[in-house]
Amino acid sequence: MSGRRAFARGFVAMVPLWVGVVPFAVAYAVLARDAGLSVVEAQALSLFVFAGSAQFSAVGLIAQGASGLGIVLTTFLLNVRHMLYGLTLGRTVPLSGWRRPVTAYFLTDEAFGVVAARRERSFGFVLGVELSLFATWNAATLAGALLGSAIPDPTALGIDLIFPLAFIALLVPLVRTRDELAVAGLAGAVAWLASRWLPGGIPVLAAGICGSLLGAWLTRDRPPSAEVDLDDAAREVA
Amino acid sequence: MTFWLTVGGMLAVTFGSRLAGLSLQRELPPPVMRCLHFVPVAVFAALATPALQGDRGEGEIRVLAAVATALVAWRLRSFGIALGVGMATFWLLRLLPSL
Repeated sequence: MSGRRAFARGFVAMVPLWVGVVPFAVAYAVLARDAGLSVVEAQALSLFVFAGSAQFSAVGLIAQGASGLGIVLTTFLLNVRHMLYGLTLGRTVPLSGWRRPVTAYFLTDEAFGVVAARRERSFGFVLGVELSLFATWNAATLAGALLGSAIPDPTALGIDLIFPLAFIALLVPLVRTRDELAVAGLAGAVAWLASRWLPGGIPVLAAGICGSLLGAWLTRDRPPSAEVDLDDAAREVA
Repeated sequence: MTFWLTVGGMLAVTFGSRLAGLSLQRELPPPVMRCLHFVPVAVFAALATPALQGDRGEGEIRVLAAVATALVAWRLRSFGIALGVGMATFWLLRLLPSL
């Protein structure tokens, strides 16, 4: 019974973030329809992958004609950071048996941030937080996909511009030090140059790897900043 | 078919990363941690720049819309507002016949 109440507290704790998630999911779904995905396909990514920036990049890469392998590798690059969240959660929340894969399936930046910002550490609470986002993300995806179908000629409206703008809006809050600015500058330049000769997908991978290696090299004398990442996730929620 | 294979691959690498973190009992080596910290910054920048120009000769106003988005994201830290202002800037500039 206390599990059900913890679940409800978790579900409610995520509600303030719905405001930020809904436009993101709607923009994703409109773009997915513009890239040629059906409503079912756009929804499938939200149900089975459930990772906003990876879904965004996937539909952008599909629009550029990237290969499936390129999309999967970019998804991997974008989502390995979830390991850090898992490492921290796994140490502080008791999870056994089936609870571990269930918690893993629905784990996101936002859910991690809400849990990190609160004291409560039960499985019920974490699951409530996670499913609150999952439900909203998928409802907003459906709304966006149907909206995308209602727009007569999205390409003529320049809807594809949502793609680079969305990544700029995600990038800017993450750039706070000179090292991060240098990494963003290098990765942006490498991808832009490479995209003139190489097919979609490869420039992003190459730039992502170059950029993170540069960042690791620039900060080689400092201890790794896992704590900063955790603070980031928590601040996003505040 | 290719689409569903891609979704399967995306599911595998995403769920795999999430589960690996929850199941690992020890720290990652420091160089790996340093790389992981910079991955989102590098990938987001790399996804933005190639798509910015567009292919319909509207490069200038698209870049101006990107500047507006970056400014709003920096000041307000709101994804939805930044995206809305960026697209509104683009559509307004488009109405001007000779910029």
